[in-house]
Amino acid sequence: MANLQDLTEAVIKGDEDKIKLTILELLNAGTPAKEIMDDGLIAGMNIVGEKMETEEMFIPEVLMSAKAMSAGVEILKPQLTDEENAASGIMILGTVQGDLHDIGKNLVRMLMEGAGFSVIDLGTDVSPAAFVDAIKEHNADIVAMSALLTTTMPKMRETMEAMENAGIRDQVKVLVGGAPVTEKYANEIGADGYGYDAGSAVRIAKEYMTN
Amino acid sequence: MTTICSNQQALNSPLAKKLSEDQCRKLYWACLEILERTGVQLFEQEAIDLLKKAGAHVSDGNRVRIPAGLVEKAFATAPKKITLCDRNGKRVIQAGGHRSYFGTGSDCLNILDHRTGQRRQAVLKDIEEGMKLCDALEHIDFVMSMFLPSDVPQETLDRYEMEAMLNYTTKPIIYVTTEFSGCMDAVKMAEIVAGGPEALAQNPIAACYINVTTGLRHNKEALQKLLYLSEKGLPFTYIPSAQGGVTAPITIASTMAINNAGVLAGLVISQLKREGAPFIMPGWGGNMLDMRTTIQPYSDPEKRGQAIDFAHFLGIPTFALAGCSESKLVDEQAAAEAALTLFTDAIFGGNFVHDVGYLESGLCGSLPQLAICNEILSWLDAFMKGIEISDETLCLDLIDEIGPEGQYLDCQHTLDHFRDRWYPNLFDRSSYDGWQAKGGKSLGERAVEDVDRILEEHKPEPLPKDIAKAVHKVTEDAESNL
Repeated sequence: MANLQDLTEAVIKGDEDKIKLTILELLNAGTPAKEIMDDGLIAGMNIVGEKMETEEMFIPEVLMSAKAMSAGVEILKPQLTDEENAASGIMILGTVQGDLHDIGKNLVRMLMEGAGFSVIDLGTDVSPAAFVDAIKEHNADIVAMSALLTTTMPKMRETMEAMENAGIRDQVKVLVGGAPVTEKYANEIGADGYGYDAGSAVRIAKEYMTN
Repeated sequence: MTTICSNQQALNSPLAKKLSEDQCRKLYWACLEILERTGVQLFEQEAIDLLKKAGAHVSDGNRVRIPAGLVEKAFATAPKKITLCDRNGKRVIQAGGHRSYFGTGSDCLNILDHRTGQRRQAVLKDIEEGMKLCDALEHIDFVMSMFLPSDVPQETLDRYEMEAMLNYTTKPIIYVTTEFSGCMDAVKMAEIVAGGPEALAQNPIAACYINVTTGLRHNKEALQKLLYLSEKGLPFTYIPSAQGGVTAPITIASTMAINNAGVLAGLVISQLKREGAPFIMPGWGGNMLDMRTTIQPYSDPEKRGQAIDFAHFLGIPTFALAGCSESKLVDEQAAAEAALTLFTDAIFGGNFVHDVGYLESGLCGSLPQLAICNEILSWLDAFMKGIEISDETLCLDLIDEIGPEGQYLDCQHTLDHFRDRWYPNLFDRSSYDGWQAKGGKSLGERAVEDVDRILEEHKPEPLPKDIAKAVHKVTEDAESNL
């Protein structure tokens, strides 16, 4: 008889087949989908996140877990109410205007998806207006901006101003990151949070959704 | 489609050389000339008799001039490869050619105590902890005693050292003894552990480090040890300590010529005593006296490389020296000197590379410094590997499949191979914030923690009780014979 602990372990191991099978068994046994999601899949990804921050798990392993977790979420989604589905959070993600770097941003996307977020990835060289439009269109909970260059960092401030001018600043939490970005800069431009790496960004984003 | 392709596996790992073959030959001829013309002074009658019988010229009782032909003959029987086994008889070290193995030094008077940060006289417990640490450190291949114990009877301290090494690690041992009797007792202990003299000779678990006064002056104890070990077929180093500017001319070439004339004299005596005696020569050349401070520098750049080249030319395994520092602390100088010396000996291809973890020019040892050296050796282990350029490693199909737009982070190939790459253990690669989150510690602080953790967690395989008892009896007997 499968239990939630098995599911958590399968997530940590990144065992997609085991995840799918365990979820079906749990559903057949009458375990509520929400419970499978929270106490099985998300609980597993929380441990993965911790192991990544303590450098016990390596990025490819974390991504394997994230991928396997997403496959599990696909099975569960139809069983969840709209409200339950929305609870995990919608995120707009992009590298700011003038900046073409996307490795870190892609990593954040994969990990955010693994953590259960619905991520709308706007790609690189994203203008302030494009961020604003996407927030409105998707009714986003979180906006995450990335910049690798000191020369493109000011676009973060401009994007903040664009959100302000569009009157949507208070609807979303703003998360910033990238090599030259600091906590101090995040505070200066009025962002809500700063992630020094992909793992910490996920941790902060999850905090926003639970609070 | 055929897969025939020439030169698929070319020699492809790093390699360095300082002396050309012609330079080696010139140095070798200089050694031969010194042996024939100036000769050596030997303070052991059996060695003189052996050489005389073989055709050497003896004058003034102990001045022996050795004809070049005798040296040439010795090379025919001296082994090019020397095996050392772990305590269980596993043949873990095959030293010779360019194969490098790393180990500690012996007999530091002092320890920089990692618990207090204070320098103090070393005690037996330090050797036991040191051996335990060596047993756990992946890149330490053999052990020497590290410390000289101040808290045991000084006449028999070498027995205590040997006992501690045999009890606290299974790794191969290179032992040092003050007198000849200590050497015989060390062999006795090794024979007990290996299962008898025959078993030890077939699968030696220990080699002796013999120091010789200078290239041209061979003390009695050194020759006694050489003759005894040669007869038993047990491996030993024969290291004259000619010092440039004091017991040899100051130039590197001349110091090496004098020192290696002495090495070759020892080689001849060993092969006359028993053909095939496993003989190890020095892997550093041109010791100097620091004329400003009168210390003998260990990490001197100028004495490195050429002696290993010379030993490769002669085909004799080396006892090299690296991972050591003149620094008094586990500091930036200690890390730099340790890394540079380990790096040079690795790329030149020294065989038994000892003195890893030495500070203060051999007068002080430190466990965290040894842990740092282990990390440097881990780095070097990765660096020295060649690169495989093959269909498998090029994976052109995958490149085409992923295309210019894709990325490789979450593909199976990455998952299968990312662990093939080297990752540090003590060296920090975290982001600044990540490093701060872990306490923002320096390398030295992390090394101290690593040592504490290993000493707490690691349990070396113990010697069987009856064997340990029999080994200890050798020490007891030595003490009752005082």
